[in-house]
Formats: sequence, structure tokens, C-alpha cells
Amino acid sequence: MLTVEDQTAIEQRLADFLGKSEAQWSALVDKGGNLFAQSGDTGNLDLSILSALAAGSFAATHELAKRLGESEFSALYHEGLGQHILMSALHHECLLVTIFGERTNIGLVRFYAQQVTLALNELLKQASAKEATAAPLLLDGDFLNDRAAIT
Amino acid sequence: MAFINYSSREIQLKIVYYGAALCGKTTNLVTLHKQITHAQKGELVSLATDADRTLFFDFLSLNTKTLPGFTTRFQLYTVPGQAIYNTTRQLVLKGVDGVVFVVDSHWDKMADNVESFANLQENLIENHLSLVQIPYLLQYNKRDIPNAAPINYLEYTFNNRANRVLAFESVASTGSGVLETLNAAARLLLAKYSKTPNANVTGMAQPNLSVAVPPSTEGSQVQAGNAAA
Repeated sequence: MLTVEDQTAIEQRLADFLGKSEAQWSALVDKGGNLFAQSGDTGNLDLSILSALAAGSFAATHELAKRLGESEFSALYHEGLGQHILMSALHHECLLVTIFGERTNIGLVRFYAQQVTLALNELLKQASAKEATAAPLLLDGDFLNDRAAIT
Repeated sequence: MAFINYSSREIQLKIVYYGAALCGKTTNLVTLHKQITHAQKGELVSLATDADRTLFFDFLSLNTKTLPGFTTRFQLYTVPGQAIYNTTRQLVLKGVDGVVFVVDSHWDKMADNVESFANLQENLIENHLSLVQIPYLLQYNKRDIPNAAPINYLEYTFNNRANRVLAFESVASTGSGVLETLNAAARLLLAKYSKTPNANVTGMAQPNLSVAVPPSTEGSQVQAGNAAA
């Protein structure tokens, strides 16, 4: 669960990270494939698909790490011809996914990613504490009838 | 686990289609992608082998306005059915909110179906979950094949737990029963956000009568709990 304040704070951190690293897009994604927050521009890419694939890729890497006797690979880097992806593990079952191009390089992106990771972990910790004590979401209205069916 | 974003007024829910190899999980998603015209849908992504067997997962995202004041994003996943991909199945179940268990109606596939259902329960435990916590329903697929097992047999085999769940007959390749299954799964998941959920939606309140239900027509809901009639 993210409140409006959590979302704003996380997006601000992501925007700062993009400014410093000159990366193109960055997002907070959970390991189940949900997109929590994002900043930057990916053109017309489907962000749900991007998040699902990133989470799947990281999960597969996590299994590789386990089989090598590592608890986790803390980062995963995919290098393309013009665009690259860096994924960094966060606490609370989350990932930082960053897409960057030729304007910057992996060293710079990774350096600032490590910094923003600390800040994001703190924000996630606060959000998690809030969620633990929040009242469950309950809504009025009959949204379980045929009129609300997916068609 | 469901993710609620109060800033963008969005709820994200993950539904996993689970079942034995070649039971029709991917066909369900392919058919849904074709059938759904009103809800905002994403591209259907399949991580498959050259022989069109699911290697990692299939993925389809649907944005709906089913909840007042919120956009509901259903993320539909399939798992690879082949036995060797068990680790992958565990990974796909991470953060699951609901399961559609697809049963292949072919008599010869019963052992595979039973093994897959047991495997689902084991893999939920690996994710610190269980079928008691995770809403699920059954889809009896391939009802058009000549040697399909009778519905009462399938109900007795797969829907014989303490609380009986909703079950649907389908022919995923023609689209019969596919949208009905998805809508039932969606309602099942959304019921927890309703101030007035009812047993017909959750499908979980019917006691197990330990009697098989009579067969029903193709593409229709199998009426859980009506066996004593």
C-alpha cells in the first residue's frame, strides 16, 4: 500500500536519481511484478509488461544465486546496443529498475543507484509500518454484479 | 499480494492460471486477449520455447473500472506446466492474489491433474501461502473432447475440500467459459474490498456435502453445493 505522501516521496527520490545519473527511466517494482512508482520517460512502452518481465528476470537470477551459494545477487545488468537495464535489489521484496542510454554509463548509474537504494529502503520501511496499522480498504456499492463484468 | 496505490487510485491484483502441461492455461489467456474488447488490455506476452511450450510465463494485463473510485489492474499469469519447470512455477506464484486451476478433462490426464493440484499446494507453501488464504476456483477445460471425464467425477476429485469452490466448464480453444471463469475469479478477489460481500460471489461458504454434483451444460458454472437436490 502506498499513500499519496509515500508516492510523492518515492517519485521525488527517483527523479533526483535520474537527474544525477542521467538515466532515462527508473521505477520501484515489487518482486511479484507490480509497478509501485516511476519517473522518467520510456516512450510508449507498456510499463506493466516491463515490470512483470523485470521481476521475472530478477527472480530467475535470485534462484541462480541460491544455487551458487549466494543469498542474492544485489544487482543485475542487461547491456544492449543503445539501451541498458540495471536492476537493484531493495528491501521489502522490491526492486529498483533503471533504463539508461548513451548519455551516461553503467558506473555512474550504479553509483547513484546504490545511493538512492538506501533512501528508498527507508521510505519502504515507513510505508510498510503504515500499512501494518492501516484500516482495510472497504468500498460501498455493488461492484460484484454482472454490470461490472469484464467484457 | 494486492497492491493499493492511493495516489494513482489503483489496485493491482495478480491472478495465476495453474495446471498440468497442455491443459489450456496459455489458451485461456490467448482467448481472453481476443475476447476482451471493452476493458483496456495490454499486449499478451509469452515467454515460450520454439515449440510454443511455456518456458517462464504468459502475461496479460487488464485495466478495469470495476471498483468505485479505483482503477483495478488485473495481472494474469500462467505457469509452465511441464514437471521440469517447478522452480519457475514457484517464482510466478510470488505475490499471487488468486488462482484459476485449469483441469484437463481428458481421462488420461487425471493423474497429471491431481499431481499438478498437489504441486500447487506445495508451491504455495514455498511462498508461505496456502489455498485457505488464497482464493481459487476450478475450470474444467476441454469439455468438447469425446472422452471427457464426467463433471461429477471431476468435482469429486478436485472440489472435495472442506469448503467447495466455484467451478466452471470450458472449451478454452473456442472461448466457451473462459470469460466467465475470469469474471468469477475477479469477483472472488474483489469481494474482500466490498462492505457487503456475499457467499454467491466468494463461493467459499458452501459446506462440503461429500456428494458429487450432476453434470451441467458446457460453458456454465458448476453449481457448488447443489448436489443434495
